Amino acid sequence: MYRVGVDVGGTFTDFTLLDERQGTVLFHKSPSTADDPSAAIERGLDEIATRHGVDLGRIVHLGHGTTVATNLVIEGRGEPVGLITTRGFRDVLEIGRQTRPDLYDYRVRRPPPLARRAHRLEVTERMAADGTVLVPLDAVEVAAAARALAGFGLKSVAILFLHAYRNPAHERRARDIVAGIMEGAFITLSSDVLPEFREYERASTTALNAYVGPRMRAYLDRFVARVRGLGVKGEPYTIHSNGGLMSIATAGAVPVRTCLSGPAAGVVGAAAIAAAAGFPDVVTFDVGGTSTDVSLVKDGKPLFTGDRLVAGYPVRTPMIDVHVIGAGGGSIARIDDAGGLKVGPESAGAEPGPVAYGRGGRSVTLTDANLVLGRLNGVALLDGRMPVDRDAAARALDEQVARPLGITLERAAQGILAIAVSNIARAIRSVSTERGHDLAGFALFACGGAGPLHAAEVALEVGCPRILVPQAPGTLCARGILLSDLNFDFVRTLIATADPASWANVVQHFHDMRTEAEAWLGRERVPADRRRFRCFIEARYRGQNFEVPVELPAIAAEGLAGFLAAFAARHHQEYGYAIAGRAVEIVNGRIQAIGAVPKAPLEANHQGGPSLGAARVAERPVWFGESWHETEVYSRARLPVGEPIPGPAIVEEMSSTTWLPPGQAARVDGFGNIVIDLKESGAP
Amino acid sequence: MSDETAAIDAIAMEIFSNRLLSITEEMGNHLVRSSFSPNIKERRDCSVALFDARGRLVAQAAHIPIHLGSLLGAVEAVLKTYPIDTLRPGDAFVCNDAYLAGGTHLPDISIVTPVFAEGRVRFFTACLGHHADVGGAVPGSISPSAASIFEEGIRIPATRIATAGQLEEGILRLISENTREPEDRTLDLKVQIAVNESGARAVEALIRRMGIAGAERAVDDLLAYTTRRLQNRITRLRPGRYGFTSWMDDDGMGGPRVPIVAAVTVRGDRLHLDMTGTGPQSRGGFNVMPSGVLATVGYAVKALLDPGLLPNNGLFAAIDLTVPEGTILNPRFPGAVGARTTTCQKLAGAIFGAFQAILPESEAMASSHDVLAGMVFSGRAKRRQGTYVYLETVGGGIGARGDGDGMDGAHVHITNSLNMPVEAVENEYPLRVEEYALVPDSGGAGRYRGGLAIAREVRILEDGTTFSGRADSFVTRAEGAMGGLGGANCRVIRNHGTNRAEIMDPKQRLLQLAAGETIRMETPGAGGFGPPQDRAIAALARDLEDGKVSAARAAPDYGPDLLAAALGLKATRP
Repeated sequence: MYRVGVDVGGTFTDFTLLDERQGTVLFHKSPSTADDPSAAIERGLDEIATRHGVDLGRIVHLGHGTTVATNLVIEGRGEPVGLITTRGFRDVLEIGRQTRPDLYDYRVRRPPPLARRAHRLEVTERMAADGTVLVPLDAVEVAAAARALAGFGLKSVAILFLHAYRNPAHERRARDIVAGIMEGAFITLSSDVLPEFREYERASTTALNAYVGPRMRAYLDRFVARVRGLGVKGEPYTIHSNGGLMSIATAGAVPVRTCLSGPAAGVVGAAAIAAAAGFPDVVTFDVGGTSTDVSLVKDGKPLFTGDRLVAGYPVRTPMIDVHVIGAGGGSIARIDDAGGLKVGPESAGAEPGPVAYGRGGRSVTLTDANLVLGRLNGVALLDGRMPVDRDAAARALDEQVARPLGITLERAAQGILAIAVSNIARAIRSVSTERGHDLAGFALFACGGAGPLHAAEVALEVGCPRILVPQAPGTLCARGILLSDLNFDFVRTLIATADPASWANVVQHFHDMRTEAEAWLGRERVPADRRRFRCFIEARYRGQNFEVPVELPAIAAEGLAGFLAAFAARHHQEYGYAIAGRAVEIVNGRIQAIGAVPKAPLEANHQGGPSLGAARVAERPVWFGESWHETEVYSRARLPVGEPIPGPAIVEEMSSTTWLPPGQAARVDGFGNIVIDLKESGAP
Repeated sequence: MSDETAAIDAIAMEIFSNRLLSITEEMGNHLVRSSFSPNIKERRDCSVALFDARGRLVAQAAHIPIHLGSLLGAVEAVLKTYPIDTLRPGDAFVCNDAYLAGGTHLPDISIVTPVFAEGRVRFFTACLGHHADVGGAVPGSISPSAASIFEEGIRIPATRIATAGQLEEGILRLISENTREPEDRTLDLKVQIAVNESGARAVEALIRRMGIAGAERAVDDLLAYTTRRLQNRITRLRPGRYGFTSWMDDDGMGGPRVPIVAAVTVRGDRLHLDMTGTGPQSRGGFNVMPSGVLATVGYAVKALLDPGLLPNNGLFAAIDLTVPEGTILNPRFPGAVGARTTTCQKLAGAIFGAFQAILPESEAMASSHDVLAGMVFSGRAKRRQGTYVYLETVGGGIGARGDGDGMDGAHVHITNSLNMPVEAVENEYPLRVEEYALVPDSGGAGRYRGGLAIAREVRILEDGTTFSGRADSFVTRAEGAMGGLGGANCRVIRNHGTNRAEIMDPKQRLLQLAAGETIRMETPGAGGFGPPQDRAIAALARDLEDGKVSAARAAPDYGPDLLAAALGLKATRP
């Protein structure tokens, strides 16, 4: 039996196939197909079948990480949305929180609302904050609105009424009316997508769901048809933004939950690999061509957030907290008119790419600087598949940076690297201090093509004492999919002072959510012994406007005192103090339903090569500090387990290069990870 | 200096700058995370900065532009009050006063902490929070009709609040107990002191890493770089003197309109801003201290010429200011200053206006709503004992630019704070929001249309509720540019849509309301850019379909021909 993880990237679609009987893992890459990503999946699976003799009929589990929804938003290719909302509030979607996107730069404008004003229609109805009906829903107006939206040719409708998180009756009634008039329309209710208070964030999330819904559903249908056509019988799943799996049916109904799923699986994979290797606290550091993804893993668990933007639109769904930094191998170095040397955020990307790629790139990039300094293979990358022109990189760097600054080529290249490292380090520090974490207790988990190349300098700059470079650092997302469980969050806004009178109500709500959660797990066909539940209460002190999530083992009738104690402890941990005697307000209740998926245990059975000498493939000069150093180059697959690797050293593998500076030492652990314990260097 | 050294400094400077910003960002994160009051924590009405031992601003985290003025003033006041060789590690200083400590208004309380290396003060860490109440005549401490600063709350000159690591509990209590929420003040001031402390540790570590000589050299390079970069922008401008006047309805206490004048002279690589001709000192709270003028000028120049410019002292080295004493932009003691934000908005508007003639047309901008529209409701609290005070600030239209329509319904210039969600308001207070919407026809017509205003209508659910309004432009309005038309006025309507509807000046003080009554505020719209008849037919058609412009209004503004052409376009289908 096989378990397969598929991650669709911009350039490549990565596959990880686990043979459950043998316990072996196979990695495969196939070029992505932008028009229909499922075509690359079909072709890749077919290649795996023919090249490795895998019987696709024996695939019992297929997890699919998809950026289809994200790309629909970024590229503006979603389905135009019609909105039906409470009278007086159709502009909520456009006004947002009434902020402008950039404090200083008036060229930066808000993205256009997903439903234009003409397509946002108001109907008479009103709920109070406690869910009682103030004004009944006017069914005639709803029907008229539906006919108007149909007349505009719209096929996707979002319905948002004020306080529907408390009482969804009007939204549901409106859905039934609209469904009767607009046959086949994709209808999204705010009370289904996000039953939480704060109307703008709910409206934005609901509209995004409506915007990506129809096309995402069509894509998922194609995906399922293709894998079924190949004879795959197991249940296909998609990964969503919180790193969990969900069925195709769920994804088709709430596609907005996949909007930030791209890197989420990678973090799940990183957390599992790092924890197995004995590093429960890591910063994942994934450097690609144009950007760097950073996220924190604490106690073996990724950190979550509820607020992110997709192409400028707020999405409020539970998601792994991944920060994107505008720095990567393609970041352009330039001297500005006041004599400052800047690296990024402009990027040469993959096209035209760095000067050395010879695809028409004219501007010096970070990758060019790495080539000039000998850190990257000056002949070819990707196991020799991609030739590079180091001389062209050197000429451009000399012309654009070294000579204008009046310094040597090596110093200019070194300066570019140092500036890029300081940019990235600043962003990583900001991400960690925003959550109140001290990086001295974290290891840097370096992945992506260029993460391991800059990990040493970045770790020293941010104060991480250790580095972990996993095997095949370029395919982490596909591996993470095999380590994900099914999950789904159920939430209710409660808003009540935490006292004995309201607690009974809280308990009742959790009971109801648990019933809903069980029903969902049933629909996902999760057997009873694989069901898990995590309960959270989001609460705050009276007078605050932000909530702290408190995880509790269960919400029981006699649990109020325990909750208050847990809240105080959590507030202290998060913000450094608790306030004795101050009233606590419960804002949201949340249950995460989990369907545990059987996974291959991560075992320390990596073989490696016989000796360091046998792993040595070349020697080349690498510039470091003030001079060139003759540096051993090793092949990753042949490195022996446990033997110290002295720096300076370069470790090459297909999709990545690891740089080990002079004075530092690395070793390969039993899982095949490269581990570097940093000695504090005298770096300025 | 050889070329080689100069170049190495370019690299070192960039790295140093990143490390400094990293420290201020960490301080900012710490302040937002650890503070208690929603004003600092959720609305992020706070700032942090680093200064050198001479009081020069070295780095500021991107928060609120106006705070730059108070922070500069605070460090200057500490240096003036306490000889630098009397400072000790672990000391911290507090201040807020406009006349004694360079503040801009009393709710902004600054903490300043010296940073030592090799036995001497080398830097200061500083942070500022807008505290929701500092005492005085009205809850929230901001009243447009305050007659003097003594009505605006507790005045704190530069005062030592920690001595060699020991908190001066008496000073802290003195401050907190003079406000309406002592517990919140105490929590947040302690957090501010801790933020500066941890910032100081980070600066010390940075100095250890690069040596004090290297750090001081990098500071000089960084400030010089910022000045050079701004000068490069200035030299490309058309030389000459360009003036613009924006108008306030009155000085907050009735009376004639008040001109806010900005005359900008571009000469070589320098700018001179002359506010001569600006109206007299306000008898109420609309005065702006010179530190507030400086911060507003810094904001405007950065926004207009180089939004990526780092906020540090180098920004001010190429700018000269003339602000006559006794005007609303440089009041004499003890003029009240609490409601200075709207005046700052008008000043920013005047500077933007002067630059219409200086910038290339595509970058020039018509006037924005240029007020801070505030609605304050107070009454009996819903879920606890006592009274509530609910302050909402409402955005308006942003001016059209030479390259496109203005933004609809957003904050402008020196403010950019979040609204309170309708669903949060209704859970928290005995109020119901009846409408929150863009105001059709409120944006000035033009080739590019000015941004639309916002209407917010609130129904009172309990007797004994009061409303106070803060804004301007009931009489004056946002002007169009290059032939564009002006935006709609600001107004308050009591009981809108009923037979007892009453249109009122938005400046209202403690209006008594009964259950069932409504208060609607319509903020100002913004000015359009270029002649309306140059507007693209498709753009007008879209505005008509979206109901942002009515046909009745389009006829006179855009002319019957353009209107007919637009109505003929069927652009509704996506």
